[in-house]
Amino acid sequence: MQNQSSPPMRAAIDIGSNTIHLVVARCSPHDLDIVEDQQELVRIGESVTAKGEISQEKANAAIATLKRYKALARNHNANPILVVATEAIRQASNSAAFLEQVLRKTKLTVQLISGTAEAALTFFGSTYEVYKEPHPPTQIGVMDLGGGSLELVTARNMHITWRTSLPIGSGWLHDRYLASNPPTYDEVAVAEAFLQTYFRGLRLRHHPAVLIVTGGSANSLLLLARYAFNLGMQRTQLTQQDLTRCQGLLISLPAEEIAQRFEQPLERARILLAGALIIQTVMSRLHINEISVSSHGIREGVLLAYERYGERWLEIVSQSAEALNHLQRSDGKSEAFITYTPEAEPFAQSGRRLLQERTQKMLEWPEEVLKHEDVEAVHKMRVATRRLRATLDAYQSICDPKSFKKVYRQVKQIADALGAARDTDVMLLNLHAQLEQVKNEEKAGVEWLVEPLQTFREQKQLELESFLQMLDEDDLKKQIDLCIVEGAMSHGKS
Amino acid sequence: MAKAKPITGLNPQDPTGKNARMIAKVRLEDLYSWEHFVDNPYNIVELHNMRIAAKRLRYTFEVFEDVFPVASRPIVKEIVQIQEELGDFHDTDVMIALLRLCLGSYDTATVPETVQLNGNKQHPKEKSLVSSDLIADLVDPAVAPSVEERYGLEHFLQNQEQLRNKQYDAFRQHWYALQARDFKRQVLELLET
Repeated sequence: MQNQSSPPMRAAIDIGSNTIHLVVARCSPHDLDIVEDQQELVRIGESVTAKGEISQEKANAAIATLKRYKALARNHNANPILVVATEAIRQASNSAAFLEQVLRKTKLTVQLISGTAEAALTFFGSTYEVYKEPHPPTQIGVMDLGGGSLELVTARNMHITWRTSLPIGSGWLHDRYLASNPPTYDEVAVAEAFLQTYFRGLRLRHHPAVLIVTGGSANSLLLLARYAFNLGMQRTQLTQQDLTRCQGLLISLPAEEIAQRFEQPLERARILLAGALIIQTVMSRLHINEISVSSHGIREGVLLAYERYGERWLEIVSQSAEALNHLQRSDGKSEAFITYTPEAEPFAQSGRRLLQERTQKMLEWPEEVLKHEDVEAVHKMRVATRRLRATLDAYQSICDPKSFKKVYRQVKQIADALGAARDTDVMLLNLHAQLEQVKNEEKAGVEWLVEPLQTFREQKQLELESFLQMLDEDDLKKQIDLCIVEGAMSHGKS
Repeated sequence: MAKAKPITGLNPQDPTGKNARMIAKVRLEDLYSWEHFVDNPYNIVELHNMRIAAKRLRYTFEVFEDVFPVASRPIVKEIVQIQEELGDFHDTDVMIALLRLCLGSYDTATVPETVQLNGNKQHPKEKSLVSSDLIADLVDPAVAPSVEERYGLEHFLQNQEQLRNKQYDAFRQHWYALQARDFKRQVLELLET
């Protein structure tokens, strides 16, 4: 039974893209005494990224975790148990069915909150300790890096002045760009190119003096840096240099070894490099050399909001956050940043980014092709070439016509050289497959055909080899950069 | 097939989402412009062009995958399948052309004429199915097939023709299944969201 004189015990659970997190605490409107803090890496976002929906396997894992958390919360006599779900669930096509399944099997009601409310709650949770200090900073920034999204908030004298939610998270970046284990330098270069172009739209009028970063990736990076570089277990700051050193480690060792050496869950170790890259890009963009890492976040914010506003906590938080949105839209002066979701990114900007990415992807293959070890390398480079051509086709009307023509001709030559080699490969692969199935009377004919084709293939491979050896990759990259210039105009007839 | 035409009316400063939808709509119309050849299995060039149009639509969705809703994934899957079905019988068409070249040329010595593919007389700008340097290699009289090899080639050609018919039927059946559920409207509705 709860002691009447002590603050009430509450529990909050947040279902994120990567983790499901529980906090049980004695709560007052501006402070928390945390008695239980647990997280489970379920990575619901993985199935949403892959298939657009929450798989039954992930749903089962989430429900098992929620049941366990509910029992833990009840052991502490916590009441109520507040549950919120964020980006991955928002994105999933079957979110309603998932929430209904959770309610049926756990009797827990999950609030599917908006990106706006998520940012506000995260701000409450990750800053309450800072605001307990005698002289808290006037300007403060908070970044919550999740698996599927990133929330950024700035505040002045404890009042949120600006916020945004971007659909870029560590799990997302990993799945999209850093699939190898450990990620290759080329993959990292493409991911960095993406992030730099993406965050170029983040324009800052007032630099926050302090940036607090919260979320699983930031906390795991802090833990990694503490262990690997003997930073001291009390340290809660990470510098650009610390993060660069973390990157070096994460690109050198497979996730399994990172997990084992530095006591990280394997699933977290896999996406840690993506987290480091995102944090570093934002730090560079905001001209900040050091971040404070907070282990608190949305669930602590939920508890504080409940204490401050009672049963209508979510409604009030959502209304205030929406009012801020309205202010941002209607008053240009309050808009401290201009940033974009992929959907809203200006076409010319996305064009420059995508052309760089696609070129880089294509240029990852010549080395593999020239090794002659895997016949599929030619196919993969050809597919990468097609993707680059499709990107050029899509952006042609806003490209400088002269540069476009030059680049397109060169990419077509690469495609033709690869096509000649690949088409013969396909014929030979088909014939070899047929040889195993055809009747005896056909065999002699098929074998007769294989021989000249084999000779022809060798000739095409040699042609491809000399073509790729002559390919000036740096020049191609430079030409690609010239295709869409700043302030690009439409060159197509409308 | 000629290079894709540039899409007109795109504003460089407009949101990528808006322009990506405009591009996808044009590519979708391109695909459907070949629809009336679906029932003509031997319009090889046009069906090949349909395959290229499907490929362009697929790559448009892939290039802008961050922009389109996750609900586009099952649609892209269907487009990929159509492209692959068209690709399968195109590959078999190439093999059939090659076999006819070998058999026809050694028969009549009319060589490339037969082989440059029936389609190309009507479509002089289209590339032939079999490259000219491969044709030159294969019609070298010094490597003419023996009677036994020739017999094998004839049988293999028949099998390839049967395979081609099956592959074409699979594509056609799939295409009509998509039309029965008004696939084009589904794609357009997705592009309106």
